[in-house]
Amino acid sequence: MTSPRWTQREILILAVIGAVFAVLYLGWVQVWLVSQAVFGPVTMDIAMGFWFIASIVAAAIIRKPGAAFLAEVLAAAIELLLGSPAGLMLVVSAAIQGAGAEAVFAATRWRNYSLPVLMAAGVGAALASFAYTWVRFDYGALEPGLLVLMFTLRCLSGALLGGLLGHVVVEALYRTGVLSGLKIDHDRRAAAA
Amino acid sequence: MLSWLHPLPKLAVALAFLLASILVFDLVFQIALSLGMVLVLVVFERVPVWKVLLLCVPFALFGFGFLTTSLLFRQQAGVALDAAGQSLWHALPFSAGLTLFFRALAGGLVSMAFALTTDPGQLVRALMACRLLPPRFAYALFSALELVPDLAGAANEIRLARAMRTGRRPRRIPGPVEIGALVVPLLAFAVRRAGRAAIAMEARGLAAGGARTIINLPRFSRRDAVFVGLAGLVLAMLVAGARTGWSLSALAGAA
Amino acid sequence: MTAVPQQPDAALAPAREHSPALAFEGFEARYPFARSAAVGPVDLAVRAGERVLLLGPSGSGKSTLLLALTGLVPQAVPAETAGGVRLFGAPVAGCRPSDWAGRVGQFFQDADQTLCGMRVEDEIAFAPENLAWPEPQIHAAVKKALAAVGLPQTVRRRRSATLSGGEKQLVALAATIAADPELLVADEPTASLSPRAARRFRALLADWPAERAALVVDHRLDGLVDVVDRVIVLGDDGLIVADGPPHVVFRRHCAALDARGIWTPLAADLDRELEAGGLAAETMPLTVAAALDALDARGLDGEERGRARTALAAFVSRHAPPPARPAGDAPPVVSLEAAACAPFLGPVVVSQVGLEIRPGEVVGILGANGAGKSTLGFALAGLLRLKAGRRVGAMGAVSFQNPEAQFSAGSVAAEIETALASGGDTGGRASRAARILRDWDLERLAARHPFELSQGEKRRLALACLAADERARLVVLDEPLAGLDRRGAAMVEAAVAGYVRAGRAVAIVTHDMDFALRLCPRCLVLGQGRVLADGAGATLMRDLGLMQRAGLEPPQIAPALDWLERHA
Ligand SMILES: Nc1ncnc2c1ncn2[C@@H]1O[C@H](COP(=O)(O)OP(=O)(O)OP(=O)(O)O)[C@@H](O)[C@H]1O
Ligand SMILES: Nc1ncnc2c1ncn2[C@@H]1O[C@H](COP(=O)(O)OP(=O)(O)OP(=O)(O)O)[C@@H](O)[C@H]1O
Ligand SMILES: [Mg+2]
Ligand SMILES: [Mg+2]
Repeated sequence: MTSPRWTQREILILAVIGAVFAVLYLGWVQVWLVSQAVFGPVTMDIAMGFWFIASIVAAAIIRKPGAAFLAEVLAAAIELLLGSPAGLMLVVSAAIQGAGAEAVFAATRWRNYSLPVLMAAGVGAALASFAYTWVRFDYGALEPGLLVLMFTLRCLSGALLGGLLGHVVVEALYRTGVLSGLKIDHDRRAAAA
Repeated sequence: MLSWLHPLPKLAVALAFLLASILVFDLVFQIALSLGMVLVLVVFERVPVWKVLLLCVPFALFGFGFLTTSLLFRQQAGVALDAAGQSLWHALPFSAGLTLFFRALAGGLVSMAFALTTDPGQLVRALMACRLLPPRFAYALFSALELVPDLAGAANEIRLARAMRTGRRPRRIPGPVEIGALVVPLLAFAVRRAGRAAIAMEARGLAAGGARTIINLPRFSRRDAVFVGLAGLVLAMLVAGARTGWSLSALAGAA
Repeated sequence: MTAVPQQPDAALAPAREHSPALAFEGFEARYPFARSAAVGPVDLAVRAGERVLLLGPSGSGKSTLLLALTGLVPQAVPAETAGGVRLFGAPVAGCRPSDWAGRVGQFFQDADQTLCGMRVEDEIAFAPENLAWPEPQIHAAVKKALAAVGLPQTVRRRRSATLSGGEKQLVALAATIAADPELLVADEPTASLSPRAARRFRALLADWPAERAALVVDHRLDGLVDVVDRVIVLGDDGLIVADGPPHVVFRRHCAALDARGIWTPLAADLDRELEAGGLAAETMPLTVAAALDALDARGLDGEERGRARTALAAFVSRHAPPPARPAGDAPPVVSLEAAACAPFLGPVVVSQVGLEIRPGEVVGILGANGAGKSTLGFALAGLLRLKAGRRVGAMGAVSFQNPEAQFSAGSVAAEIETALASGGDTGGRASRAARILRDWDLERLAARHPFELSQGEKRRLALACLAADERARLVVLDEPLAGLDRRGAAMVEAAVAGYVRAGRAVAIVTHDMDFALRLCPRCLVLGQGRVLADGAGATLMRDLGLMQRAGLEPPQIAPALDWLERHA
């Protein structure tokens, strides 16, 4: 169970998590686009967190190096094949976000998947994505006050929409019993026993 | 017509165009690219115009976001973007915003043209054949892609079961709350199906390493070469046009 | 295709003596955190050239055993195992499950476990692809496999998820035999196959090459027992109860099988009656028709004929239709008018349906695979929007063909609880829950998770949930018998009787013609995109022309009815 080598089941679960969240992301993009058209650009930072959830959920379920990163990239790739407005650049930004989350899990040596860590991973993804958007959209040009606001909003969004929501989803999923036999299940039952 | 092509060269060309649309910060270039894509879709792919326009809406909204951004912080953005782009337009105030808008549109349309004209299965096969993707992952991606359309059916079954328990007929279209309530059951369905597919794949001999045949593999043909050549030419001309600020004499010189 | 050895004991010729194709040696499996072992310790061996039928009550560990055959248990499905498994003489423990794909074709109980969720063509080609067959050969194999299971070439591009339950099973079967394996392992292959499709599988097994082995688990025995060489019976405790050629096992161990709630073929029941009458053939015939031929071959004298008639009358009375009671003129529970039914996101598959179902009626819905039975079932219950026509009546309750589709709770007990709660009764819920658990023999499993049950146990749970909710006036049972052992089937019959007593209407979608004949005074026959016939089951099922058009077969018991009429 704890072998570093990925089983076919784990690979497939990673893929389907990517697929399901790709669909949700597409829906979320529409929500965000509309609200942004209405409320202006800062909306992006508020909504951003949800786009980290795939990596959080995948990592918390599979609990192996690379899960967070791959899940995010996969979700983006599938979203792209389904036709996403962000276009191919999406994969790049996803990779960067995924790496941000993965870094946090790596810091725990892929051992700890408690809520705080998941939220930290959300923040990690937020940091990475903020750095990326800074370069891409030249945030240097924006005035500091706004930058600070955007930054804090995005970190919060990463922690809540990414980490916390991801945690809630994983808990609910665990209760449905489909995760039996996976690493998460063994850790829990071992802890319980 | 694009759908006859081998997915990999098509992917390469799409990437090239996207890269260009990100690097070349020029309004005319972006507009030309967008119009070109619409033209390709409507003329060669026989996609009805209304459909293309409909599919453009999200891209437009996406771009609109940039437009508002640059309008909000006009001067900063303007300055910053003047540095980026050498267009005749940077005199105009929110030309930068417009350019960003059309850049989003162009990028979206390129991706869309690719997505609309490529069978994901074929793409995965091609990637697998070119050793870019190991089979175990390729087939995972495969069944993930096939899963997407089945999610609707699964959601329907879940809703029917719910309706039976509550005794109330399901609504024709689920509301946002109901959709939220469907997320976890759908994830559960997907994970369960993944577990079963894993057993099916192992039982039928999918393993790491070892030779395997890939049937219905897309083949390279002269068509692909011609396509790449033409696309390259068009791209070169567009870039040249942008560089020379669309002065015809310079274009002639370049050509 | 249908050249079948009528004397299976002749099939045990020395020519078939070979080294064991598979062997379980004191094998035992226990699922994680389970109190008792799921199966074993089991010792059994199947020689190459043998066609073995493995029987056992629901939950006795048959599927677990088959999963362990190539090491999927414990390598892919976590479990603790003891003892050993050998395939073709080699220990399985040392290999990956995928290493056996070339020699072993595995058909799992749950079609989704056999299929990878791709398009039909890719599914069938998958195993040969992994074996690196040359492409032309693969295309030929796909074509051949589709033909062998009787699927049209037009399904190639369909996604397997949009297929009907039976069609899915057929695709799975095609995918299993595509790489023509040395050892065929099939777990309830005919569970949701129409009689004709089931007979095709039987033919496939009948001319299974003499040097190859087959291990089949199934609950529907009629039309299968006469093409196997050997029957092995697994007891509740996962230990082997009986082992031998079918005609011996079903004559000598019939009582033991009944006691354990394991199916026995109709022929065994008839044989017992004839034995009581002192008219039994010395080797037990394995089909009703064969038994009656043997009987006629004896050249019965008058007194013997009398005994034969009483024996057959007793036999038939146990399996024959109830007197079709008049439906009465109570207002119908549900009525369809010129209805066109289409599956979700699918085309219209049954149109121009006009029918009424009245309180206390039990209506059987019969038809070939893909005829639209499940779709009609949902339409009857008002869960599908009609494409045309109208439906009058309150919403009904359906037990889905795939029982899992109904589960939502975290444990069997909780599942029942939710059903009761939605049933809206407050008083004595606990006691009712206990009773339902007892009625459906689920007490042992109350704390289990619904998805960690055997197929039959899942079916029982789904039916139990339906029974718990007493609001619906119409109950639609979609393939209630699929995967159930005899005890489970008895529970279904009791439940249906209860519904009738409560004045509720019941519609039963089933492929088991004898079951339909016994339970459903009235039957609908679907075919060619419409309702071909609607009338008394007993008459419809013996209308050979109609059965032919609908792609069905008359019930197994029909020859006995004919015999009685001939010798009336
Ligand atoms: N994934 C699982 N986790 C835990 N227990 C399981 C799991 N699958 C099956 N079981 C239990 O193991 C026992 C054997 O199950 P199995 O599916 O092998 O029975 P079976 O003989 O195939 O029954 P059926 O005829 O209903 O298919 C049953 O008691 C079942 O509840
Ligand atoms: N989404 C879909 N798209 C296209 N065809 C579909 C779809 N869903 C179902 N069908 C077809 O509708 C037909 C009826 O399906 P249905 O499940 O009602 O058959 P059935 O009579 O229940 O068969 P079975 O006995 O195998 O369960 C099948 O031929 C199936 O292929
Ligand atoms: Mg089973
Ligand atoms: Mg059906």
